[in-house]
Amino acid sequence: MKANIYINAIKQISAQNALCEEWFEKPIYYSENFVKSLDEDYRQYFSPNEVRRLGKMLKRALLTARKALESNENKSLDAIITGTGLGCLENTELFLDRMVRQGEQMLNPTQFMNSTHNTISSLIAIDTGCKGYNSTHTHNGVSFEHALFDAVMLLNKDNNTTAMVCGHDEMTPTYFNFLQKAGYLGQQGETFASETAVAMLLSRQQTDYSFCKIEAIDILYGQPSDIVNIYQPPTEIDAIMTGINGFDKNDNIYTDVCGKLFADTPILQYKNIFGENYTASALGIYVAAECIKLGVVPLHLLYNKKRPKSIRKILSYNHFGGKNHAFVLLSK
Amino acid sequence: MQDIILELKENIIKALNLEDMSPADIDENAPLFGDGLGLDSIDALELIVLMEKNYGIKLRSPNEGKEIFESVVSMAEYIKANRTK
Repeated sequence: MKANIYINAIKQISAQNALCEEWFEKPIYYSENFVKSLDEDYRQYFSPNEVRRLGKMLKRALLTARKALESNENKSLDAIITGTGLGCLENTELFLDRMVRQGEQMLNPTQFMNSTHNTISSLIAIDTGCKGYNSTHTHNGVSFEHALFDAVMLLNKDNNTTAMVCGHDEMTPTYFNFLQKAGYLGQQGETFASETAVAMLLSRQQTDYSFCKIEAIDILYGQPSDIVNIYQPPTEIDAIMTGINGFDKNDNIYTDVCGKLFADTPILQYKNIFGENYTASALGIYVAAECIKLGVVPLHLLYNKKRPKSIRKILSYNHFGGKNHAFVLLSK
Repeated sequence: MQDIILELKENIIKALNLEDMSPADIDENAPLFGDGLGLDSIDALELIVLMEKNYGIKLRSPNEGKEIFESVVSMAEYIKANRTK
């Protein structure tokens, strides 16, 4: 990491109230094991043609992108980079289901258009008129960090770039059942399965509204014991934002790695209120950025009951399956 | 003929996801594309799929489409004359 890179705007649609930070003081808790995002009334924001044609996730992507751009001082956009684990799952499922049932005949074009992973970035590009770099990263639970890493490399090269980095995933009841059987979601003690829609704007120019600076990103592959040996941990961090989700097999990796690398450092969580999905870590980084901006960590984010003394530097640690590990260091 | 028109309107609403519309809101004589319902080229593809799936009609010539998809009435007339199911 060479240049100073700032997160200047973030907007989300998730299991918490959309496009706001009400979760900070009044989080919504769920007892169900699968929760859809709390959508806006999209008719307020889109033309009738857009409302009827775009899939739910594309509407979320477009709205978060528009709102992030609106809230930014600089309204122009030079790059759009999306991280998504499953892409536009709902339409993919509908399209594939009809493909099988109808013997690959009479397939609906709208569902096909809505089903590809890179539809998200390209739709935002058309909507915003951005003709610059456009990319999609899909790497299971570390998709968002790969997108973020791509944006940071781009910004290191070009001083005048504003990059939008998005994290999007949706969930269907059918796929939730598959993942539950595969041992990824809906496990004993695990938080609810959820959906993510996050849009962030990154730039080398700090503004009055900047959330935080991205100091470093490390994406590593290996067993937790390898990570403890390989990873060079930053010093003087105030807290670690983890993807702890209540499922022992997942959480033990966090507590093990954090215990060895960052003993006595407060551990934070966000999946207790935002749920679990492939790009939930985008929400984790959003939560950490909001805490740094406000200089406070709400009680419901404390995992080990240790309260950070100050909140100027948070390390986001996300692992997927105990083998893919991503560290994102954010600072004031 | 009125039965086909009503059924066709219901099928169009479903296929094109016209959530806020009922069959009564669609003027069967108004143009489907441009001014009337304001449909576009992707909707045209959806209507071709609808014709094949619901009425067994395969449209092969693009030139045919312009007349067939002029309005709900023109679609209904074509369906009445050519349907295989």
